[in-house]
Amino acid sequence: MMQNLGISVSRNRRLLPLSAAIILFFLAYALGAAYLPGMRDTQVFLNLFNQTPYLLVAVVGETLVVISGGIDLSVGGIVALTTTASAALLRGGGEPWPVMLLMLVIGMAMGTIMGYFITYLKVQPFIATLAGMWIGRGLAYTISNESIAIYDPTYVLLQGTKILIPGLSDVATKKGDYITLSVIVALLVLAAAIYMAHYTRFGRTIYSIGGNNGANEQSARLMGLPVNRTKVLVYTFNGFCSALAGIFLSIYTRSGQGLLGNTMELTVIAAVVIGGTALTGGEGYVFGALFGVLITILIQTMIQIQGTLITWWTLIAVGLITLFFIGLQSVIANLKIGQATGRKKRAAMSRRQQALLFGGGAIVVVAVVMFVFSGSNSGSTSAVTPTSSACQLKPFRQDQAAGLMKDGAVIAYERNGGVNCIDEVYGIYSDGRIVGDNGTQKIERQVAPADVDKLLSFISNLGWFTDNMYTASHVPCSVCYTYFTSVAYKGQAKTISCVDGGTDCPAEYWLMTGQLSTILPSFAPAP
Amino acid sequence: MRQSKSSVDWRKITESKLFFPIVALVLILLVDLIIIPNFFQITFQQGHLYGNLIDILRNSTPVIALAIGMTLVIATGGVDLSVGAIMAIVSSVAALLMNPFVLGTQLQAIKNDPTYSYSPFWLVLLLPLIVATICGLWNGLLVAYGKIQPMVATLILMISGRGIAQLITNSQKIQIFYGPFVYIGNGWLLVPFSLYIVAFLCALAWLLTRRTSIGLFIESVGVNARSSLFSGIDEKKVKLFAYMFCGFCAGIAGLIGTSNISTSDATSMGLNLELDAILAVVIGGTLLGAGGRFSLLASVIGALVMQAVTTSMYAIGVSANSILAVKGVVVILLILLYAQQVQDFIRRITGRTKLKETQS
Repeated sequence: MMQNLGISVSRNRRLLPLSAAIILFFLAYALGAAYLPGMRDTQVFLNLFNQTPYLLVAVVGETLVVISGGIDLSVGGIVALTTTASAALLRGGGEPWPVMLLMLVIGMAMGTIMGYFITYLKVQPFIATLAGMWIGRGLAYTISNESIAIYDPTYVLLQGTKILIPGLSDVATKKGDYITLSVIVALLVLAAAIYMAHYTRFGRTIYSIGGNNGANEQSARLMGLPVNRTKVLVYTFNGFCSALAGIFLSIYTRSGQGLLGNTMELTVIAAVVIGGTALTGGEGYVFGALFGVLITILIQTMIQIQGTLITWWTLIAVGLITLFFIGLQSVIANLKIGQATGRKKRAAMSRRQQALLFGGGAIVVVAVVMFVFSGSNSGSTSAVTPTSSACQLKPFRQDQAAGLMKDGAVIAYERNGGVNCIDEVYGIYSDGRIVGDNGTQKIERQVAPADVDKLLSFISNLGWFTDNMYTASHVPCSVCYTYFTSVAYKGQAKTISCVDGGTDCPAEYWLMTGQLSTILPSFAPAP
Repeated sequence: MRQSKSSVDWRKITESKLFFPIVALVLILLVDLIIIPNFFQITFQQGHLYGNLIDILRNSTPVIALAIGMTLVIATGGVDLSVGAIMAIVSSVAALLMNPFVLGTQLQAIKNDPTYSYSPFWLVLLLPLIVATICGLWNGLLVAYGKIQPMVATLILMISGRGIAQLITNSQKIQIFYGPFVYIGNGWLLVPFSLYIVAFLCALAWLLTRRTSIGLFIESVGVNARSSLFSGIDEKKVKLFAYMFCGFCAGIAGLIGTSNISTSDATSMGLNLELDAILAVVIGGTLLGAGGRFSLLASVIGALVMQAVTTSMYAIGVSANSILAVKGVVVILLILLYAQQVQDFIRRITGRTKLKETQS
């Protein structure tokens, strides 16, 4: 029995990383569902897909690039460019469908140009696509430094269209579990890419180019395969995918700005690796892209639903899982070398690789156990409603803040968003009285009037009333906070809002919030 | 005879690693000279030198520090993507040592006192550097002993490093008031103090690689790891050293960067700086992915080229975010200088002058 299993594993070892990814996904989901009641909702499961489209198409394109032995860092840049450009064009009265088509053409053009640089001028993929990323993002910022909202009816319709799942929903009332239209399109792109990679001449050429440190490319050339054309086309296809990802993202967020897709290339490359594609090229399955993305999103969702871990754990978890999959790939690569060079050497060599795999695996297991334990502790205390995987922002209470200022407050401060979707308004008066309101409870605190004075001069000295401090408000990420702060001091008054998680806010703004939080009272945790 | 000798020198110059970076730098400065008035003006105020050129030097110090370490790693045939993340970790550790109050349940008042630091100054400098070197060690172990492709191996720390940095400071930004630390990035001794640190680091790297055999070992490993092994060079230890040194350099860059803004900033400290550093090295003529011969000085000039582009754009008045696009175009143009076709073309021109001169 075991022997049979061993034989079939060694015969199908190419499938091992992919199957490991699939198993890991369902295992992680089962663990999450067991310990976090919020995970059991079918809509939460479907939301894993609803969040994927833009990431999925980008990963599909990147997978093909990686299989061909290259790398493409320009994904985020093209995404930023296409979202901003389409938002600006739509604001200027552009027709939605031609705009989308134009975006795809822009993406393909950028991909093709990078492909030419890489293939014919022998610029390294890393450098050429890095320049592509910078040009894309820079152009996006040149178009607009701020976020542009999209009000186009077609985009609104595309964002709002829900495809109800038969059996889980009620068609008559149009309520129930659903997936979005983008998911269908993304899955179609995935299917097309799978067909292209595994069933066409073009796909076989891609596989034959990658791997073996460029030696395979040489062999493919000698075999008379159209290496140059294929390489350029792979980058063109990835440009197309990146632009499509940009369109999905602009539909999903209904906005466009240069910051969108920041560090996205990292997530995309990690998802490619998790999906079982070797970064050395020549190996992997396009289908793995789906599970690479799903695992990434699952980690994010679990950490959001769990609620007590800060979101940065997502990065650490993705890093650890990447490590695990790299360990797995290196064992498989080693098995192959082992077969070629004989058993004895194989045993000696694979010991190191196995140590690596088990080490990586052990870290992942420890991390999961820690996660589960901290989850089970808080699971009973933190009240997370099953459907709150994506934060529904409460309306900003600008009027209340303005009222506080009219009332004679010197500082009005509002914090909105975050994992728990809070909305808190504080008013600070010059006599040291501080009032706070988070919608469900009101608090009050008295500090020395001198402290308020000190705070005001501190804020003023930061350059609050100069042009160095500016509003950098945009659509916040799902777990980010939006801050609104009004300050009145010595006859001057100014309101500045910022969203954290990005780098577009003036650094002094965060010094202000840091200083402010030292005197603010804190709300008792929600029951 | 004299003519032919001078033509030999000319060829030597074009083949030197320093030739293209210097040409690039001169080209950019020439453009500045033409379109920006007073770009080269340097003023002397209160014992300090001020001016655009000083700005270029000062702002490029973190990238120079990164580029020095990165040169050695790239020369071994690898690459280190994690240096930006290491800078963020260093930033968090250093700030926490000086002001550990964020770990309390309630954020306590920041001590606005330039003489106050929770930990002694030597510890504030030493511990972050040790942490950075350990990060380098981790990368080195994965690359040298784990036999993982460098780009992938360092990707792990690149992704998780920023998360770790956030965990260290509990997602808080910590403001730094401690005078001696602020001096590192903001002090002036005629020229900005950070320049002395980077010059020292440069000298250290030069001594290590050119006055001991380590430099030769690194080049040999980069050219051919297998034959180096046969000739008795422990390829793994050489790689391990390169990654550890790169981590150390990232630590120095992190300290300078943190001191510059006087705040620990795990989100944006060193963000995308690894790309700048890699480009600086590539502009310096060390081959990415292939390794082999390297020149520290050329990498330093490469870093200056990168910063000169940015500073010139600021001087022209391009907005901070749009500079990325210009930088991308300039990078493509510069890298094209290294493309085989262009190199052949330049060689042909210089070779032709040699021919003509010898004929005459």
